Amino acid sequence: MGNDGLLVVRCQLGEREAFRELVAMWHPVLWRYVRGMVGSPHLADDLAQEAWVAVVRGLPRLRQPERFAPWLFTIARRTVTDHLRQTYKAPETAMEEATTVVADDELSGVLTTMQIEAGLAALPPLERKVLILLHLEDLPLASCAEVLGVPAGTVKSRLHRARRMLRNLLAEKGYEA
Amino acid sequence: MSEQSRAAQRDVPEQLERTLATEVSLRSRLRHVAVGLAGGCGAAMIAVLWATEPNALPTRTQAVYAGLIAIGLAWAVFAGWVLSRRRPLFARDRVLSARIALAATVVTALAGVALAAVRGSTTDLVATAAGGVVFTAAAMLTLARARRRRRELLRLRDALRQDAP
Repeated sequence: MGNDGLLVVRCQLGEREAFRELVAMWHPVLWRYVRGMVGSPHLADDLAQEAWVAVVRGLPRLRQPERFAPWLFTIARRTVTDHLRQTYKAPETAMEEATTVVADDELSGVLTTMQIEAGLAALPPLERKVLILLHLEDLPLASCAEVLGVPAGTVKSRLHRARRMLRNLLAEKGYEA
Repeated sequence: MSEQSRAAQRDVPEQLERTLATEVSLRSRLRHVAVGLAGGCGAAMIAVLWATEPNALPTRTQAVYAGLIAIGLAWAVFAGWVLSRRRPLFARDRVLSARIALAATVVTALAGVALAAVRGSTTDLVATAAGGVVFTAAAMLTLARARRRRRELLRLRDALRQDAP
């Protein structure tokens, strides 16, 4: 379970100093995830704080401390989604796709994190979330599916589409794939 | 410097630290435990007083009793809501709170039984004693569950510490 699990268990026990360590360890990752989905760093600060409050309030009920990372990202995704709903006054439509597309790894070895981040802002939210979780946060496919609340096949198809869109965007900017 | 590298270097914002310090505050949790217990135990004592009145009370006095009981129960419900939604208790907090709750329940039950013995009939005394036993048993059960949960987490923490490099 590792160091993360130990920290989570210490927090569940009520060791107050463990909360500071947990937040120091995960806040940059959480902030970057949120920042990838919203327009401004200040908004990312607010939403990350909102997500942390929800995390602290839900932590005593977390039964599997080793599942902390997907749980954290799930809360962050919900926080951002709620914010976007309020902002645009229109619920985000879940795109369920039955077809499973084999993951296209053509770009995996070519694109760097910086290049991916450069094109992220131009992608639609669903595709952006998949790329952030899989490429920037290195979550495994199953955890990514859990965070997004969709089947693994849908994650693969979104990933395929996101990579294709990102490749086109980067090509327009002059990057060579 | 890119935004990403700035983000990587940023510490946890002070505002976030302050907010989380409030969120995990033990004092705030114990305050709500105390409020809930005071409300619940106070309502129980007023109910015993009302039930053991030797003569029929005037309507206005009955309304006051009912109002006080409602206020006490409302505080207990409010505290329960806060402790389940806004300030959930961590394992150690649960044990501490359950001990306080057990002590408050025992004191209230004894006081209620004493009142019923002095003021009420045998039926009142039996009913009050039965209520006291039920609430005390519930408090003991809560304490036992809280201690079991804390033991589980302590075992898990020790196992993880041994596994850690």
